[in-house]
Amino acid sequence: MAKLFERRLTPSDSPIAIFATTAAAFLTAMLVTAFLFLSYGASPFQAYFALFHEPFGTLRGFGYSLVRTSPLALIALGTIVSWRSGFSYLGFEGCFVIGASATAWLALLTAPGARIGPIPFFLFLPLAIFVGFVAAGLWAGLVGFVRARLGGNEVLISLMSNYVAIFILQYLVSGPMRAPGSLPETRILPRATWLPFILPGTRAHAGILIAIAAAALVWMLLEKMPLGYELIVTGFNAAAARYAGIDVGRRIMLAAFFAGGLGGLAGMVEELGSQHRLMDGINGGVGFVGIVVALLARLNPVAVIPTALLYGGMSVGADAMQRRASIPSSITFILQSLAVLLVLAFDALRYYKINFSVFSRGAPPTATEEASK
Amino acid sequence: MNGPQFAMTAFVVTWLTASLRLAGPVLLAALGETFAEQSGVLNIGIEGTILLGALTSFLVSFYTGMIWPSLLAALLVGIAANMILAWMYVTVRASQVVAGLVFNVLALGVASAVYRKALGNSAVPESIAMFQPLHIPFLGNLPVIGPVLFGQTILFYLTIALAFVAHFVLFRTNFGLALRASGENPAAADSAGISVYRMRYAGTLISGAAAGMAGGYLVLAQVGLFRESIVSGQGFIALGIVIFGRWNPLKATVAAMVFGACDALQLSLQIFGTHVPPQLLLALPYIVTILAISGLFGGKAVQPAALMAPYIKD
Repeated sequence: MAKLFERRLTPSDSPIAIFATTAAAFLTAMLVTAFLFLSYGASPFQAYFALFHEPFGTLRGFGYSLVRTSPLALIALGTIVSWRSGFSYLGFEGCFVIGASATAWLALLTAPGARIGPIPFFLFLPLAIFVGFVAAGLWAGLVGFVRARLGGNEVLISLMSNYVAIFILQYLVSGPMRAPGSLPETRILPRATWLPFILPGTRAHAGILIAIAAAALVWMLLEKMPLGYELIVTGFNAAAARYAGIDVGRRIMLAAFFAGGLGGLAGMVEELGSQHRLMDGINGGVGFVGIVVALLARLNPVAVIPTALLYGGMSVGADAMQRRASIPSSITFILQSLAVLLVLAFDALRYYKINFSVFSRGAPPTATEEASK
Repeated sequence: MNGPQFAMTAFVVTWLTASLRLAGPVLLAALGETFAEQSGVLNIGIEGTILLGALTSFLVSFYTGMIWPSLLAALLVGIAANMILAWMYVTVRASQVVAGLVFNVLALGVASAVYRKALGNSAVPESIAMFQPLHIPFLGNLPVIGPVLFGQTILFYLTIALAFVAHFVLFRTNFGLALRASGENPAAADSAGISVYRMRYAGTLISGAAAGMAGGYLVLAQVGLFRESIVSGQGFIALGIVIFGRWNPLKATVAAMVFGACDALQLSLQIFGTHVPPQLLLALPYIVTILAISGLFGGKAVQPAALMAPYIKD
């Protein structure tokens, strides 16, 4: 007799199944969060309306969403490069801080009267991208070196390195880079180094274009280039890669460098596009939410920008919700992380297939029944 | 005793006392984590679990004023939270790094939402009941070692005792053997009749109980209030201590003391006024942990062979 739910030997990997389980997980997370809204005495419908209307229904809010999207997307792309190469890097909070510090240092050097002096923006931008990328790339590359050459555990080392990077930032803004004044922060970066605003009437800046370009480049690297193929093979099966003549250690260090560099670009974009000065606390968890975005995008560079827009938008909506309905914005942390945990859990559902034929009479025997005859 | 010598003694006493005091919570979390890792589960979620434990014990202490029930509540919340994690690690077989990391974000959201729900935006109440340092007669009056070794809170002595218990259980009992077998060679353990799933659930739940209690320790014996940044990587440091201590509770105790000494050096040097940037000293425990687990000093060989590898029984 055919069963309604039949267990498969391998999970279904059709796009529909993947999309359906992801959507189901997200809806379940929203349902759970709806009860949280109720516990704060708010109507879930109004809360969700507030959560999504502000970022996606108003021009000003959409501009802020784009501002939040760019660093999240860049960190998610860094996560994809490193994790698909089998390097479980978790140090993006640190890369973000290092990239932001290096960029701010460069930008302050171009202030009138400083060491370099004003330079045109079309020269400054490539230089800033280079400095931000390389500084954070080397920072992460160091962890790659420890893993590849000494056999250290990159998961824990990269987690620890975040704290070291944050202390470096605190040192810089309270010592060498501190502006005269009571707060530990630098001067405002010269206006000429700011990323241009791209949507009139909003704070949206060109960082989102950098993020989109980076997504295209990462897609090309992983899908179209031999180097990307070697990285992915290294991630899938290091022993096989070694047997095929790939220098696994060098590939891991390279993946770490790229990943860190992308994390550094996230810091650069935030610094030149939105903060315009260096201070403690600019990271604020973006390094971890970026990893969550990459996971929800299933480590697929094409899906990163929409996913980052969703999460960036939700953080904007959450702030609006906290202002207007006094629901703590941390509830979106719950929604965002719960969604990923449920996506992982719901993956088990892809092992099952639904036999719609049991609803009709004279159902044909299923494959397993056929085989057991 | 002349002046400089007296100052030196005072420095050493404050430094060592603070070292042991700061080592306590991380050691407790590391002892639990040793069980999880010996069973084959790298439980990164202890960072979030410590936070939940800290919040729980703060709230219970705030509302009831009783300290032991607060600690017990933190322990129970740790177990409950790690039920979810164990399910993700063992039953769903999700990537342990991913599940643990995302759980930490979830725990941060939950802790901050619950804290605001419970206390609103009112001023932070600072007066919760806390564990006080013990005054052991005679021993406590000894020079230097008196205040250092015999002037800690009861939780410190409890943690040291638990280290010996953990060592005994892991290396001298059938349960410990089965647990370690599940982390070393799950297939062989399975064919010897050990339920690998059950052992890994046990390992994860023990680490949850210890991490919850460590959160309570942090609040009830050290800080006395709750804020979202209270844990700030101590769970991750506990993970480092497990590696530094080579998955052995007694060596982990020594490792935790080394960590505590680095952490306390920063406090003591600040009190005595030096020109070293405070951030360098603050970063010291993290740098020491990174060096300790970098592989520069070996250690790959003693790691549980099946650590981070989900087990599929067929």
